[in-house]
Amino acid sequence: MTMFSRRSKLSEEVSGSDIFNKETEGLSQGQIVLKRFFRHRGAMVSLIVLFSLVTFVFSTLGFKILGIGYGGWWKYKITDLPALRTAGCSIELPGCPSLSLIPGKGFGLGDHPFGQDDLGRDYFSLVMRGAERSIEVMVVIGLVAAAVGITIGALAGFYRGLIDAILMRINDFIITIPIIVLGGVVSFHFGNKGILFLAFFLGVLSWGGLSRLVRGEFLTLREREFVDAARVAGASNRRIIFKHILPNAIGVIIVSVTLIMSGAILLESALSYLGLGVVAPDVSLGLLISQYQDSFTTRPWLFWYPGLLIIIIALSVNFIGDGLRDAFDPRQRRRISRKDRSAERAIATKK
Amino acid sequence: MKARLKTRSIVAAVSAASVALIGFVAVPAQAAARSTVVVIESNTFTSINNLTPDTNIVINGDVAYLTGMGLFHYDDKLNIVNNPTLGSYRVSKNKTGDFEVTYTIAPGRVWSDGAPITAADLLLFHVLSSAAYNKAAGLGDPNSDTPVFNSGLYGAVYDQHVVGTPTLSADNMSITVKYDAAIPDYALNGLGLTVPVHALEELAAGKKSLGTAAENSAATAKFISDVNSKNTAALKLMGPVFTTGYNATTIDSSTNPLLLVNNGAYMIKSVDSNAITMVASPTYNSGPALSGINTVVIKQGIADGSPSAQAIANGDADVYQGQPTADAVAQLKAIKTATVTTTSSLAFEHIELRVASSGTDTYSGPFAMSGGQKAADLRKAFLLAYPRQDIVDKLLKPVNPGTVVLGSVINLPGNPQYEHTAALNGMAVFNAGTQSSRTAAALKLVQKWYPSAGKTTPVAINLLWGSPGNTRRTSEAALIIAAEAAVGFKVTAPATKGWGGKLTNTGYDAHFFIFDQTANPQDAQACGIFQSTGGSNYTGINDPAIDKACVALQSKTLPSSTVTRLRVQIEQAAAKDAFFLGIFQNPEVTAFNSQLANVVAAPLSPSLFWNFWTWHF
Amino acid sequence: MLAYIGRRISALLVILLGSTFLVYVAQGYSGDPSEALRGSTDPHVKAQLASLIRNLNLNVPPPARYFLWLKGVLGVFVGHFNLGLTRDRNPVSTYILAAVPVTIRLILLSTLLAILIGIGFGIISALRQYSRFDYALTFFAFLMYSLPIFWVAVLLKAYLAISFNNFLLNGSIAPAWIIFASFFSGVFWAAVISGTRQKVIAVFGIAAASTAVFLTLLSVTKWFTHPGLGPIMMLALGIGFAFAVTFVSTGLSNKAALRSSLTVVGIGFLLYFPVEYLLKKYANLLTLFIMAIVTITIAIATSYFFAKVDRRAVARTSLITSVIAGLLFIIDKLMKTWVPYINTDAIHQRPIPTIGQINDLLPAGNFWFSFLDSVLHLVLPTIALILISMAGYIRYSRGTMLEVLNQDYIRTARAKGLSERTVIMRHAFRNTLIPITTIVVVDIAGIIGGAIITERVFGWRGMGTLFITAIDTSDLNLLMGVSLIVSTLAVLANLVADLLYSALDPRIRVVGKK
Repeated sequence: MTMFSRRSKLSEEVSGSDIFNKETEGLSQGQIVLKRFFRHRGAMVSLIVLFSLVTFVFSTLGFKILGIGYGGWWKYKITDLPALRTAGCSIELPGCPSLSLIPGKGFGLGDHPFGQDDLGRDYFSLVMRGAERSIEVMVVIGLVAAAVGITIGALAGFYRGLIDAILMRINDFIITIPIIVLGGVVSFHFGNKGILFLAFFLGVLSWGGLSRLVRGEFLTLREREFVDAARVAGASNRRIIFKHILPNAIGVIIVSVTLIMSGAILLESALSYLGLGVVAPDVSLGLLISQYQDSFTTRPWLFWYPGLLIIIIALSVNFIGDGLRDAFDPRQRRRISRKDRSAERAIATKK
Repeated sequence: MKARLKTRSIVAAVSAASVALIGFVAVPAQAAARSTVVVIESNTFTSINNLTPDTNIVINGDVAYLTGMGLFHYDDKLNIVNNPTLGSYRVSKNKTGDFEVTYTIAPGRVWSDGAPITAADLLLFHVLSSAAYNKAAGLGDPNSDTPVFNSGLYGAVYDQHVVGTPTLSADNMSITVKYDAAIPDYALNGLGLTVPVHALEELAAGKKSLGTAAENSAATAKFISDVNSKNTAALKLMGPVFTTGYNATTIDSSTNPLLLVNNGAYMIKSVDSNAITMVASPTYNSGPALSGINTVVIKQGIADGSPSAQAIANGDADVYQGQPTADAVAQLKAIKTATVTTTSSLAFEHIELRVASSGTDTYSGPFAMSGGQKAADLRKAFLLAYPRQDIVDKLLKPVNPGTVVLGSVINLPGNPQYEHTAALNGMAVFNAGTQSSRTAAALKLVQKWYPSAGKTTPVAINLLWGSPGNTRRTSEAALIIAAEAAVGFKVTAPATKGWGGKLTNTGYDAHFFIFDQTANPQDAQACGIFQSTGGSNYTGINDPAIDKACVALQSKTLPSSTVTRLRVQIEQAAAKDAFFLGIFQNPEVTAFNSQLANVVAAPLSPSLFWNFWTWHF
Repeated sequence: MLAYIGRRISALLVILLGSTFLVYVAQGYSGDPSEALRGSTDPHVKAQLASLIRNLNLNVPPPARYFLWLKGVLGVFVGHFNLGLTRDRNPVSTYILAAVPVTIRLILLSTLLAILIGIGFGIISALRQYSRFDYALTFFAFLMYSLPIFWVAVLLKAYLAISFNNFLLNGSIAPAWIIFASFFSGVFWAAVISGTRQKVIAVFGIAAASTAVFLTLLSVTKWFTHPGLGPIMMLALGIGFAFAVTFVSTGLSNKAALRSSLTVVGIGFLLYFPVEYLLKKYANLLTLFIMAIVTITIAIATSYFFAKVDRRAVARTSLITSVIAGLLFIIDKLMKTWVPYINTDAIHQRPIPTIGQINDLLPAGNFWFSFLDSVLHLVLPTIALILISMAGYIRYSRGTMLEVLNQDYIRTARAKGLSERTVIMRHAFRNTLIPITTIVVVDIAGIIGGAIITERVFGWRGMGTLFITAIDTSDLNLLMGVSLIVSTLAVLANLVADLLYSALDPRIRVVGKK
C-alpha cells in the first residue's frame, strides 16, 4: 500500500546541481556510457559469465578459423561412441553424469561430466558443440538483422517520403512471410548446408521490428537542433547519418539487437522442436532439449544441461542489453534514490 | 491431572473423529463402474468414410471400425476371425477358370436407422473396386481418370480377377462373386460392407433426414437396379457423395443423420476439433455385444511422448498407443494406475541399397548392379558392417525388450514360419558371428577394391532416412556413420524434410525407413517391395526369380508349404544380391488405465481396438 | 488521412500477392505430399499416389498452381471466396473457422493477463529501479522468457495438474507447503513494499503470518474440496477491492469515489440471493450479458449520484469495482458448481486437465459445467503463456516508465507538490501507455497466428496446430489459408499501430512531409 507514498523528509543539504553534474562532469559520451554500464551489476556479472562461457565452449572441442586451429582440450569428439558408463550409475540408468561438485566427495569432471546419450556419445561434447552452434546462430541472426534493420530503418527515417514508403512496404512484406515456412524450405533444399545458412535467412526475416524502431528514432532525431546545426555547417547527408544521428540512436539499436539475439536462441530451439531447425548429425542446444524432452523425469541430465546453457546464454544477453539500455539513456541517472527524489523536490520548492 | 486427562481424551476423540471424517471425505463415493473410455490419438479425424485415398488414415479407420461391423476381423495373432452374427462367406465353386465366392447376410441384421442389411449393401463394393465395371457403366477408367467413386480399391487382386457383376439371390440376402482364378486371400480381397446403399441413394437424392422403412427399401431396390442396369446418371450422383460427402471435421445434431447410419456397436454422436464422441448404438445386432463401455471418446491431435504420458497419468485419458521414446516409456511405466505393454507391429525398419537393375532406374552410384562384382562386394560389405545389433540393443530394447534383429521381413518374428524362413533365406550371413567379425569380413571385401579402406573412407555413400524430427532415426544414422566408416564408407546422412519424395532421387545410394504392412495376404505385401513393378520398389531391383515367385503368390490360393517356399525364394534373391535387409520391427507401446480390462494390442490396424467389445471397467 | 489509409491498403494487397506467391512456390517445391504413402506396402499404394497427384494438381508446377489457388481467393470480389480443399478433401475454410475461436480462447486471455501483469510489474520495477525487487523481477522475467515452452508445460502439468489433482482428493495442505508459501508470500510483499528495515521485517511478518493462517484455515476446513465464497466473504472481498481500486484509481482522498464504489459493493451484497437465483435458473450467456449491462448501469448511476465534480474519475472507479464484484459473483457460482462437477463420471475427481479444450464426456446442457470446464482447460496453457510472454511487457513498460519519469513534465508535476500517486498514475502511467499500445496492437494481431508449440503440447486444435500440420503434411492449400489470414492481420496491425501512435502522440506524424 505504500507504493506511492514517497513524501519523505526533505534533505536540504544536498544541492541540486551536484546530483545532476557530479557524475558526468568532464567525460565524453562514450566514457559516460561505459561508466554507467560498469556500474550495472547485473550487466557486468552477465558480461563476465557470457565471456567465460563462450571461451569455455569454443575451447572445449577446438575450432579452426582460416587455417589456424586449436584442437580443443576435451578428450571426446561428438562422433566418438564410447561404451556406456555403468560404474557409479544405477542399473537402469547407464551413462549417468560423472560431474561431481560436492566438496567432500571430490570435485571433478570425471569421464563423462554430463553423462552419455543412448548411443554412448559423450554428452558434454554434444552440449558444447550444441552451445557453439547456438551461439553462432545467435550472433549470425543478430548481425544480419542488425545490418539490414539499421540500414533500412535509417534510410527510411532520414529520407522519408517515397524512400520511406517503399522501404516500409518491404518491411511489411517481410512480416508476411512465416518464419516456420522458411525453416521447412531451407531444411528441404539446403538441409546439409548447415545451420548457419538457416540462421542467415532467419536474420533476413527478423529485422522488421528493429527497422521500425530505428526509423522512428531517425524521424525524431532529424528534426533536432543539432542536426539542423550540422546541416547549416555544410555536413553531407552521410556525415549527418553516421556522425550525428546514429550515435544518438545507438542505445535503442543495441537493446533491440540484444533482444533479437536472445530471441534467436529460443527461435532456434522452437524450430528444432518442430524438426525444422538444426539437422542431424549437427547439434544445437535447442535440438538437444527437444530430442530429450521426454527425459525430464527419467534421465534429467539429458535435458537439464542443454536447458541450463540456453538459460544462461539468454539471461546474460538480456542482462547485458538491459545494462546497455540504461547506460545509453542520456537522461538516466544511476539511481533514482529516495534521497535524490527528495532533493529534487527540495530544489523545486526552493525555486 | 484428571482434568488434563479429560481434555486430552477429548482432543484425541476429536482428532480421531476428524481423521475418520477426512478418510470418509477423501475416498470418493465409489460410483458404479465407469462406462466411458477416453482414447488419445495423435492425428485427427477427417471423414466417416475411410475408403477413399484421401481419408485412409489411422484415426478414420479406428472410428470406422468402432462404428461398423464387418464379416471378419484380424485378431492379435493375425488370424482372420469371422463374424457369423452378421453373415458368412464360402467358396461356392472352385474349378479352373471359374472360382465363385458366395456371401450371405444373416437374417434380421439392421442398420442403425432400422433398415435391414442385405447383400445389396455388399454390391457397392464391386462398384468401388472394379475398373471394368466403372468403364462399362460410363464412369470412365478409374486407373487413369479421377474415379467417380474415388475409393482407392481399384487395380488390386479383386479388380484383376473378377468376372462380370456379382449376382444377388432372389431374397437379396446372398451375393455371389465370380473370379477367373482361385484368387489368394479371397476373404481379404473380396466383398465387404462399406456404407449403407439405401442411405447413399437417399443422400444422392438430396434427402436430409432418415427415410421411412418403405423409402429405405425402395432406395435399396433402386440401388440394385441402378448398379445392374449401369445407370450412369444415378451412379454419377452417388459417386461424389461417397467420395467427399462423408468428409466432416465437425459433426453435431445438425449433421445429416443419413451420413451417420452404420451397423456398428457405436454411433458417432459428435465430432469437434477436440474429440470424437461415440455412444452405444441401440439397434446394433451385427456382432458381439458390448461388455460395459457405452461411450468412447477419442481425443485427437495429442502429441506423442510426454503430453500423452502425462495425460494418462492425470486420468485425462484411459488408453494410449504410440511409438514414444524410451524415456516416455519409462515415464508411462512409472504411472501407478496404468498398465503398459510393448509389442511389435507389422511395420518394420529396413535398409535398402539402390541396385537399379531395371531399365528405367538411372541410378549409377557405387551400389548399382551395373558396377558388377565391385558393386556387389560393396553392397555386401555395407550390409555386413551395418550395426543392426547395436541399433536394436541401444535404441529398441529400452522401448521393447523383446525386439530382435530381423532374420526375415517376409515372415516376421511371431509368424510360425519365421525361424524356418530365417534359416533358409540366406539373410543369416548378415547375422552370423559377432559384429566385429562381420565388420572384419566387410573390410576385406572393400579392401579388395580400395586397399586403403579402413584407414581412409574412399567410398562416399549418400544415405536417405527421414525427417529431422525423428529422434530414433537420428541416432540410428549416427551409429551407421560410425560403423560404416570403419570399413571405408564415408556415409553422409543428413536428415531431410520431405524425404519420401527423394526416394526415387538418384543422388542417394541407400535408404532406411519403415515399411508398414496393412494386411497379411499370401505375398505378405512383400511383392510391392521386391517385384520389378512393385508400388514400393525403391531399390530398382528387377529380378526375374522374384517376379516369378510374386506372380505365383498373387494369382491363386496355394498350399501353405508352397507359400513358404516362394516367400523364402524372394528373400534368397534379395540376400544374394545384398540390397535389402530388415532391421527391427517397430515397437508399439500401449498404456491404459489398469482398471480397464481386455485391452490388447494387435499388430495390424485397428490395433488395440480389435476387440473393443470386450472392454470393460 | 483517408488517402493515406487507402494507399496503405492497396500496398497491402500488392504485398500479399507477392508474399503468397513466394510462400506458395517455396513450399510447393519443398516437401513431399506423398510422404505418408511411401512407407506403406499396401497394394493400393500406386492408385492412392495417382489419386493424390490428381487431387492436388501435383503435375502442375507450383508457380502455375499458385494461380489456381489465387483464382479461388480472388473469388472474394465476386462473392465466392474459396480457399480450396485440404488434402483430405475438406474445405480449408471449415478448418480455419473451427480453429480461430479456439486460438482466440487460448491466447486472448493469456495475452491480456500477460499485458496487465507485465505492465504492472514493469512499472513497479521502474519505480524501484536497481532495488533487490527490480533485480529479482528482471531475473525471473528473463528466466521465464528463456525457458522453452514445452519445458514449462511439462512442469506445469506435473505439479499443477497431476499433483494438484492428487492433492484435491484429500484437500489438506502439507505443513511444509504452508511454511514455504508463507515464506514466499512474505518475501514477495516485503520486496514489493520495501522501505526501512523495520518496515520490511514488519511487512514480511504480517504477510507470512496472514498467509499461514489463511492457508491453514483453507486446509483445515477442506476448502479446496468444497470451495465457495458465500455472501459474507464476498462482502469482505468487495469492500477490500473497493478500497484498493479507489486507492489506485483516484486516491482514497476522493471521498465521492470511495463512497460510490462502496455503495456498488453494497448493492451487490443486497442482490446476492436474487442474483444467485437468476444464475441458477437462467444459466446462459444472455443472462450474464444482461447482468453485465445492469452492473455497468448501476455503477454509472451510483457514481452520478455521488460525484458532484470530476464525474469521470468516480465513474471509472465504481465501474472497475463493479466489474470486479461481478466477477466475484461468477467465481462464487463456479465454486458452487465445483463439487457436482468433479463428481461427474467425466471428471472423476480430476478437475485440472493436461490436454484438450473441453471435456466431451461432460453431460451437455449444463451451462455452468461447461463454463467451469472451459475455464479449467484454460488454466495450464494460460499460465504457461503468461509466464513466457510476460517478460517482454515487463521490460518494455519498465524502460518506457523510466524514460517518462526522467521527463521534465514529471519533474514539474512533482514540483507542483502533487502526490506521488497522482504523478505516477496520472502523468507517468498514461504516457507510458502510448508506446506500449502500439506493441500490444501488433501482439494482438499475432494472436490469430496461434502459439504453435503451446497448442501442440496442450493438445489444442487452433491455428498454430493447423499451421504445423500443413507444413508436416505438405498441405499447401491449408498452409496458404492460414498464412494468408495471419499475414493480412500482421500488416493491418502495423497500419493500426502507426495510426494509433500518431493519434496518441501528436508529435509523430504518420505522413512524412518535407
